Amino acid sequence: MPKSILARSVKDAEAAFGSLAHPVVLKAQVLAGGRGKAGGVVEVSEASKVETEAGRILGLSIGGERPSALLVEEAFPHAKEMYLSITLDRGERAFLVVASGSGGVDVESVAGKVMRRLPLDGIDQAFADKIASELSLDQATAKAFGQILLSLEKLAREKECELAEINPLAVGFDGQVMPLDAKIIIDDSALFRHPEFSKIHPEDTFEGEASRQGFAFVHLEGDIAVVGNGAGLVLSTLDLVGDAGGHAACFLDLGGGAQKERMEAALRLVNRLPNADRILINIFGGITRTTDVAEAIKAVLSDGNVKPIYARVSGAEEAEARRMLEGTKVRLYPTAPEAVRAVVAAK
Amino acid sequence: MNLPKDGDPVIVQNITGRYGSLHTRLMLDYGTNIAAGTAPGKAGQTVEGAPVFNTVAEAVAKTGAKASVFFVPAEYSLGAAKEALLSGIKTLVIITEHIPIRDMLQLLETGRANGATIVGPNCPGLILPSERVKLGIMPAPSFTPGRFALFSRSGTLMYEIASQMSSSGLGQAVALGIGGDPVTGTTTSEWLDYVGTRGDIDGAVVVGEIGGDAEERLARHIKKSGFSKPVVAYIAGRFAPKEKKMGHAGAIIYGNYGTAESKIQALREAGARVAMTPMEVPLLMKEALAR
Repeated sequence: MPKSILARSVKDAEAAFGSLAHPVVLKAQVLAGGRGKAGGVVEVSEASKVETEAGRILGLSIGGERPSALLVEEAFPHAKEMYLSITLDRGERAFLVVASGSGGVDVESVAGKVMRRLPLDGIDQAFADKIASELSLDQATAKAFGQILLSLEKLAREKECELAEINPLAVGFDGQVMPLDAKIIIDDSALFRHPEFSKIHPEDTFEGEASRQGFAFVHLEGDIAVVGNGAGLVLSTLDLVGDAGGHAACFLDLGGGAQKERMEAALRLVNRLPNADRILINIFGGITRTTDVAEAIKAVLSDGNVKPIYARVSGAEEAEARRMLEGTKVRLYPTAPEAVRAVVAAK
Repeated sequence: MNLPKDGDPVIVQNITGRYGSLHTRLMLDYGTNIAAGTAPGKAGQTVEGAPVFNTVAEAVAKTGAKASVFFVPAEYSLGAAKEALLSGIKTLVIITEHIPIRDMLQLLETGRANGATIVGPNCPGLILPSERVKLGIMPAPSFTPGRFALFSRSGTLMYEIASQMSSSGLGQAVALGIGGDPVTGTTTSEWLDYVGTRGDIDGAVVVGEIGGDAEERLARHIKKSGFSKPVVAYIAGRFAPKEKKMGHAGAIIYGNYGTAESKIQALREAGARVAMTPMEVPLLMKEALAR
C-alpha cells in the first residue's frame, strides 16, 4: 500500500501533507459507498489547497454519513487500473471472484470482466493463475495479480466477508501492482465467531439506542413514527403511508413474538423522536398476542405526554385487545389502510 | 421439493427451548404429528408428550421422521442442521434467523448431496392446510385449505396476505416463508416449478421485498419456463431508503440494485400481476382466474 497518515482534523491533514511525498490523495473515511462520486477523494499537490479541500471533505455527507476522518496518502502514478473483488452473489447462492484488467471505479459497466464461482473451502495457486491468465495481463502483472487474489480470498474466507474489494488495483509505470483502495463488509451474522471485530452502532442517536435494544430501526425524515411487528409488514406500512401522501419518521420492527416489555420500550423510543408528532402502530398478531400489545400501549399512555397514537391491531385475542383499549386516547381502526388514512389526514 | 403428508412423523430440534416447546404445542393443536424432539443432554424428558432425544439420528431411528422443524440458535445451527441432513431428514424447516452466510452455503451443499429440501432460514416455516400439517410458527387461523400457493420473504406479511386470501375464498394448498436472510435454502423460482407439477394448485402468490434480485430472477424464470398459471405478486418497500437494512438482513438496496421498482417492472413484464397493497392481492388473483 502507498504510505499514508490518518487525519481526524484539517490541522492533522496539513501536518500529514508536510511529512509525505507530493502529490497526495485525500480520501474521506466513511461507512458508505460511492464516496469518489460524492467528491470524497481528491488529489492535492500544493500545501495551500490542503486546508480548503480537507475542510470540504470532512464536511461532506456521503450516503447520509459524515466522514469520521481523512486518509492522506501519497499518490501512486499509474498506467492503468484493475478491479478485484470477492463478493456474495445472492441469486447464485455462491461467492464469486470478480476481476477486470481495466475499469477501476466503473467496473459495473466494464466489458470483459471475469466472474467465477469460488469453492467454499478456498482456492489454490492454479485457480488464481487461471483467473489472472484470462485478464490478458503481461507475465509480471499476472503473477502479482494471482498473489493478491490468493491473499484476498483467504482474508474473505477467514474473516467471513460478504464483500472484499480492491478498487482500483493499480499498475505502476514500472509494472508494480498496488492496491489503492479497499472495502470490506463483514457478515453481521458471523460476528459471534470474530471477537476481533466489534459491531459499530449507528451514529444517529436513536438508531444507536434502538440497535442496542435489539430493534430493527431506521430513522427517517417524516413526521409519522411507524411501528409494527415483522420487517415486511412494517415496510408495507411505509408504502401505505407514502401512497396516502404521508411521510414516515421511522421504521421500527418489533420482531416476531414481541412481548409487552419490548412493545413498551419501542413506544417510549419513538415517542421521543423529535421529528415525529404522531405514532402509527400496525400489528398483525400471530405469535405476538394483541392483548400484550394493548397492555403495553396502556402502560405507556399512563406515563403521560404521549403523542397521538393511531393503531390497527389484528389477530390473536383481537376482541379482548380492543376492549382493553376502549376509553383510552388510542384511535383504533379495523384495517391498516384505514389507520393510515387517518394518521396521514391528521397533519 | 419434499413436503410431508397428513400424519407423517415430524421432529422438532431444540424442542426444550422457549419457542420450541411453545410451537410444539401449537403444531400439535393444528394436527401435525410431532413424534419427537431433540435437545443435547436432555434425553428422557418429554415435551407436550413428545419424547426428547440427544441426537437427530436417535429421534429418526425411533420415529421414522423425515421432516424437522429447526429452532436451534444461530451459533450452533451449522452442526445441528448438518446432523439432521446426514441423519435422513429430507425436509428441514429453519426458523432460526441470522445464520452466517458461509454456514448456509455449506448447508446448501449438504442438502443437495442428500436430496433434502431446506426451507428458510429466518422464516415462519411452511403450512399445508389441506393436509393439516404445520411446520412452523405461523398463526393457524390465517390459513384455510384451498387451491393456491403462497410464498413469502416476510413472516407477518405472509399472515396478513393469507388472511386476505382466506377471507376472499382463496385457500392455500401450500404456504411457506422463503426466508429473510441473504442466502435461502429454496428460491421462489424452484417453488414455482413445483406449483407447475401440482394439478390441484391453480395459481401462486409471491410476496417479495426490497433487496437482492430474487424477484428479477423469478420474472426471468416465468418467461423462460413458460409458467402458465396466474402469478400475483406483492413487493414491500417502495418507500424504503437506500443503503439501509430494513429489518431483514437481506432487505437492503445498494444503488439501484434491489429496488422495488426494478422488481415490480420485471414481474409485470413477465406477465405477473403486481398488487400495490396486501389487500389488492385476492382481487388480482380473481381477475386473473376470470380471464
